[in-house]
Amino acid sequence: MSHRSLMLKAAAAAAVLMIAPQAAQAQSSGLTSEQALAALRAVQAYAKNDGSDPSLAVIDRDGNTVLLLQGNNAAPHNLGLAQRKAFTANQFKMRSIDWRDRTKPGQPQASERETPKAIPLGGGVPIMVGNEVIGAVGVSGTKGGQEGDTAGAQAGADAAAALVKRLQAQN
Amino acid sequence: MQKLMAGLVVGVISIFAVSAGFALMQQMTRQFTLQSLSGNDISVEQALLVAQGAIDACKKDNSVITVAVVDHVGGVRFIVRGDGASPEMVDNARRKAYTARTFRQPTSTWMEHTAIDAVDEKGKPIDLNGQQMLENTIAQKGGIPIIWHNDAIGGVGVTGSKGGGEADEACAKAGADTIADQLF
Repeated sequence: MSHRSLMLKAAAAAAVLMIAPQAAQAQSSGLTSEQALAALRAVQAYAKNDGSDPSLAVIDRDGNTVLLLQGNNAAPHNLGLAQRKAFTANQFKMRSIDWRDRTKPGQPQASERETPKAIPLGGGVPIMVGNEVIGAVGVSGTKGGQEGDTAGAQAGADAAAALVKRLQAQN
Repeated sequence: MQKLMAGLVVGVISIFAVSAGFALMQQMTRQFTLQSLSGNDISVEQALLVAQGAIDACKKDNSVITVAVVDHVGGVRFIVRGDGASPEMVDNARRKAYTARTFRQPTSTWMEHTAIDAVDEKGKPIDLNGQQMLENTIAQKGGIPIIWHNDAIGGVGVTGSKGGGEADEACAKAGADTIADQLF
């Protein structure tokens, strides 16, 4: 066996070894319906205290929908807005209210506001597991305006993250 | 005496005239007053029950489904994606629910009714196939309307069950049935 073919085989084996754990990691990071429902219950608990009737969206890290809920007396824009807030939090890996402040006209990042689907309004919160964003919760229609929506979404994101952490602890 | 009788008759007639005028005015007011409609709609709480019912029914063969519940105007009330489902399944379930809602019938029935070769009971072609070209509709089994007082106040759509479209629709039906006792 030539020296070169040995080296090629070693390289191929190394490549396989490198791919395998990556694939496993990508699989385990999918946001489950159970985690999304935990977020829903937490947002509803917040809304009950608040006396409001919000709409919410939960998306995974790819920006795809996992859960949508339109409040009983929601205005027509609420659900779509919740989706965009979640998109913003997931895309920029921060609360949409912080992203709003960061991208104010005149700021160096102001042109980030031109990102399609993103919206500079509070109410989107990333679901964080450690330093990793695994999705986001968007809320629209609480009583406290953008701060209230952010608080509701934070409760939801925390509940979803808690389930992920529990799952990780079990494994 | 005669004067008294005449006075009485005039009095009675004038009472009638006044009350008739009043009634007429009332009628006109009713006719010209704008009234807003108050619609019946499926609530968040009901939508969650319907979705849970569908998920539970589909668990029998370990199917993991995506469920959508739409409201009385066909807008999303609730959607939850099944684990491992492809992203487009969310819209697929929503369109099944929308189709059932807007045509007030199970999507399987609607598909038969709007098939290109569909005929009525006399064998005459129905030719409603154009309905399948409407936006947001989908010619797939798995959508069930939620009926209240002969009108659809919502719809439920299921996708992803192991048994295919028919099983999807059975699960959707089981979901809708969970709130049947609330809709009377």
